[in-house]
Amino acid sequence: MKTPFRLDDHPRRQQPLASPPDGYFDKLPLRVMQRVRPAEPEAAPLFGWLAALSAPLRTALASVLLLVAFVGTYWLTDSPARYRTPTGAVATVPAATSERALAAVPHAEVVQYLLTNDERLTLQDFSETPIADRDLTATFLPGTSRAELEAALDEQPSVDVYL
Amino acid sequence: MRLRQRLTPTPTASTTSLLARLEDQEILLKFRDPAARNVAFNQLVRKYQQKVYWHVRKMVIDHDDADDLVQDVFVKVWNNLENFRSDASLYTWIYRIATNECLNFLQSKRRKFFLPLNDVGAELSAKLEADDSLAGDEVELKLQKAILRLPDKQRMVFNLRYYDEMPYEQMAEVTGTSVGALKASYHHAVKKIEQYVNEASH
Repeated sequence: MKTPFRLDDHPRRQQPLASPPDGYFDKLPLRVMQRVRPAEPEAAPLFGWLAALSAPLRTALASVLLLVAFVGTYWLTDSPARYRTPTGAVATVPAATSERALAAVPHAEVVQYLLTNDERLTLQDFSETPIADRDLTATFLPGTSRAELEAALDEQPSVDVYL
Repeated sequence: MRLRQRLTPTPTASTTSLLARLEDQEILLKFRDPAARNVAFNQLVRKYQQKVYWHVRKMVIDHDDADDLVQDVFVKVWNNLENFRSDASLYTWIYRIATNECLNFLQSKRRKFFLPLNDVGAELSAKLEADDSLAGDEVELKLQKAILRLPDKQRMVFNLRYYDEMPYEQMAEVTGTSVGALKASYHHAVKKIEQYVNEASH
């Protein structure tokens, strides 16, 4: 007859299951420490605040930005005044600021520029300017009488096309 | 030689327990110091990791599940150690956390997969059969299968008493149950196990 099983008679295994992988208990403290170590504060992403906004607000913000960009572009490209710098490069000044910029240039410097510049004024330039602004000469030739101007013009060689 | 052996004091169970408590007190004191906190916790993990691992492993059988749970247990210990009352035993407190983690894990496993009680038991039983350590030892395999047939809480009580040889008073601290109820539970567990093994042998 087979002896009935009694727990007290059975040799007890302290660890009845297979042992964990080699070195498991050497690595476990380190793995636990990695989990409990306080996480480094993450650097806030540059546009993190944008992601926090709601979708309709983001859409409205994008529309406003687009409008601002459009107005800015229009303002910057509105009748720009072009001029050549003493070094020869062409610069553009917005219409709103060109007048102030020109007023800031000393008179002697303007005269020097006109005298040394290769692109001298021609009669064609003078023939066009009165149409745009008849009093233009009064600003850069102050104190010159009409008779003196006419005499100066008469001294210039005539071109057939103007006759 | 014999004289030296007589003069050398051999540590008794109570001396070992006292030393363990003193070490726990030292760990707790160091843990309260922010500069020594990591060192203290590392010492705590090294001291208790094997006991906690095997306690959990015997409940969930699978090593990977046990590994996850052991880490969770120590993370909870880290988070709550500051609130730990020094008058209680650190050892039983950690066991209590481990026990709750195991019971919650098994409960959530049943809920997650909509499995009846026996199916989780069958899954754990299949893992037992695949365990290399039990290969070739038929009686031991039957014993382990019999233990798995116990309800989770009773299995926990059985493991604490049979394998860890924990005193009933400490078991009462771990499980939050009275000593009398634990004694009865263990007694019934042994009877059920013996009955299952005998039935399976015929």
